Amino acid sequence: MKKYMFKRILFSIFSLLVVVMLVMVLVYTMIERNVIFQTDDMWNKKSNNDRSIYEYAQYEKYGYLTYRDYTSFVKDKYVEIYGEEYFSQPDYLADKNAVQDPDNFQSNATVQEFIQEYQAKGYTFKYFAPMVFKSGKTKPGGQGYLLAVHEKMPVLRLFDYIKGFITIETTNDVKDENLTDRYIRVEKDPYSGLFAVVGSGTQHKYLLYFDNRFPFIHQNWIHINLGTSFTTYRGQEITSVINNPTGELIKTMQQYPAMLGTDEYVETAIDFHSLSYNPGVLSDVEKTQFPDQYTVYQYKRGGLSMIQNSFVIGLIATIISYMLGLPLGILMARRKDKLADKLGNAYIIFIMAVPSLAYIFMFAALGTSLFHLPYKFANAEVKVLAYILPTISLALPSIGSLMKWMRRYMIDQMNSDYVKFARAEGMSEKEIFSIHISKNAMIYLVHGIPASILGCLTGAIITERVYSVPGVGGLLTTAINSHDNGIIVACTVFYTSLSILAQILGDVLLAKYDPRISLSEEGGGGR
Amino acid sequence: MSQSVNTVEYNEDELFRFVEEEDMKASEKIIAPRYSYWRSVFRVFFKKKINIAMIIFLVMIVLVSFIMPIFWPYDPFENVTNASSFNLKPSAAMEMFGGFSFKYLLGTGAMGNSILYGIVSSARTSLLLAVICASINMVVGIIVGAVWGYSKQVDAVMLVIYNIVANIPMILLIAVLVYVIGSGFWSFIFALTITGWLGIAYFFRTQVMIIRDREYSLASRCLGTPIPRVISKNILPFLTSVIVTILATELPSYISMEVFLSYIGIGLSASVPSLGRMIQQAQTGFLTYPWEFWPPVAIASAITIILYVLGQNLADASDPRTHMM
Repeated sequence: MKKYMFKRILFSIFSLLVVVMLVMVLVYTMIERNVIFQTDDMWNKKSNNDRSIYEYAQYEKYGYLTYRDYTSFVKDKYVEIYGEEYFSQPDYLADKNAVQDPDNFQSNATVQEFIQEYQAKGYTFKYFAPMVFKSGKTKPGGQGYLLAVHEKMPVLRLFDYIKGFITIETTNDVKDENLTDRYIRVEKDPYSGLFAVVGSGTQHKYLLYFDNRFPFIHQNWIHINLGTSFTTYRGQEITSVINNPTGELIKTMQQYPAMLGTDEYVETAIDFHSLSYNPGVLSDVEKTQFPDQYTVYQYKRGGLSMIQNSFVIGLIATIISYMLGLPLGILMARRKDKLADKLGNAYIIFIMAVPSLAYIFMFAALGTSLFHLPYKFANAEVKVLAYILPTISLALPSIGSLMKWMRRYMIDQMNSDYVKFARAEGMSEKEIFSIHISKNAMIYLVHGIPASILGCLTGAIITERVYSVPGVGGLLTTAINSHDNGIIVACTVFYTSLSILAQILGDVLLAKYDPRISLSEEGGGGR
Repeated sequence: MSQSVNTVEYNEDELFRFVEEEDMKASEKIIAPRYSYWRSVFRVFFKKKINIAMIIFLVMIVLVSFIMPIFWPYDPFENVTNASSFNLKPSAAMEMFGGFSFKYLLGTGAMGNSILYGIVSSARTSLLLAVICASINMVVGIIVGAVWGYSKQVDAVMLVIYNIVANIPMILLIAVLVYVIGSGFWSFIFALTITGWLGIAYFFRTQVMIIRDREYSLASRCLGTPIPRVISKNILPFLTSVIVTILATELPSYISMEVFLSYIGIGLSASVPSLGRMIQQAQTGFLTYPWEFWPPVAIASAITIILYVLGQNLADASDPRTHMM
């Protein structure tokens, strides 16, 4: 069993990597990359060569390539020779301006040095000749540039991605020679009144702490970086996008770290547990508020995060569908070919055949006009009512499919020998159905339970869009429409790991539920 | 006494005679009612009156959606310059375009387009899409599935591929493909079929495996029947009802898929009339302009329900166990 699970997990990791690799190849090499500038104001403001250079800078930021600008190469060279005073040296200026001469720039010694160094590393060179008006004046943004460009191989990109996937904060994270007192220790936390793990030299100050928000214990120690958004949530990490609450700021009376111990209180929404290291120079105001360099903070927000919104709706819908779907399926099997069965079948056909979009809208129209339930999630006056339509819309298809399969398996079991034997023993039909048949029929449905619960974390695309629920369901589709490769890759990793995990958990649950099933044995195909 | 016995004369012709050739043939056969598989399938199928009604509906939809656009082509932009023709309910639209007209029976859409002509042309797209995608996926899926289920070497390789590809979110794959190769009708079909057959093949593989190891199949193998013949004569006929069952869920699923993908913005391009696009365009005002929203929804639902019910009933009929008198 252990050996089997180990093999299985290894294969899961392997297939996850292959999937990520495939998706990376698809989105990074098959899609035009300049689409990322469609909504970029900076790109619109720049012109000529400046715009091209800006494009390369963005491509590097988004992980398409790495490049080296000749100007920065010259600068580094002369900083080494002259120190801080490099910019007034005549040979620096001469070398720097060499690329402004499109005809002879390659004869310059520093340019040759640059080309040789980067040619050896396998870079290719892009020369942007200076753009001048007929009068001889340089066009705006038309200075000449020389770049050494290296396109990232998909394999390297995958490697970088894996390298940055999990980071654990250590006391050596902050690169500051003045910070000598580096530690990680347990201290009394003035904000919660309990204990917290506090670090110095780490990126965050509070590594492990308690507060009054669910799930009450939080950590900043280990970070999982699924990817960074390029366009939709410019520069933000996906994990924080989907996990941060989306509601209003919560202002409370609090003390800045420097005020602790005094009677001074300020009304602010700052979450002091989120303090992280500021590498720059502190302003005078900050110096009065903070005793150390940990001055970068986030605000406390109320409400649920995107993923919580989706999960709450999805989980309620799943519970409803199991609570309704299974008993209805049993009822249909018991009343086979009678009215209840026919009605149930009509419902199943309707749900299976009609496009989900159609019945969700039908249901929305029904709910809003007959019961005056709130249609759009955000407009609801009573928050609880806003959940009714989305959860039921989401439950409708799963109720249908659970009914269908439960009925099917029940009917299959009804003719087995053990049922005949139980009848011969004189058990009542009710007992036979509730004790024997439904238990055996459930074997087939147990496998899907982890998948339906974990599936709630990915959100529901149509339901969330129809009712404007701020959830994660639309994340992938908006990412695709706005060419946000970072989110696409992150979603792929997230969805794929959830589906693999659901499969494994489903198999384990099945083996636990039905002791006849053994996972480690080599099976001869489908059952 | 004994003499009298001996004197009885026996005529050999009375005791034995050669049988006629006709009777000889008959005695070699077991007398059984004539049974033809497909005739029985259709007998059971047409015994249900609802199937006949559904077929009539389907034929009507097919004829109307394929013939009408030839004579009255749909042009979504014909009234685009006339802003007063936008979003008109049926009575207002007919008033505007001079009395009763078949064309404006269902009013006009967001750009003055005729809703009726729109849904007719879109229904044709949906039907074509469903039939083409289903046939490609079914043919490839069944052939691959049959080989996959039969050969253990192929099984080992294909399982790895399946376990990897099945994990890629389907929307992602389709979206990226549509984005890369364009969103025309044929590229959309390509995106839907590039991995669509894999699920069918996997389902089919399991079914083949169950039957592969049955006794009669084993016996046939021992007698030296070549594998292609075992697959085509022993296994596939057994799976006819399974194939029809898959078809019954596959056909409508492509129509739903098109509606879904168009709704989330990754569907067919604007130049191809499609139900999904019409629903997507009308959904923002589905409470204010219901005549734009419900007709495409109704026609999509009607087609999918008809295809699903017909398919399910045909699958039931193609199961030989239902053929008993």
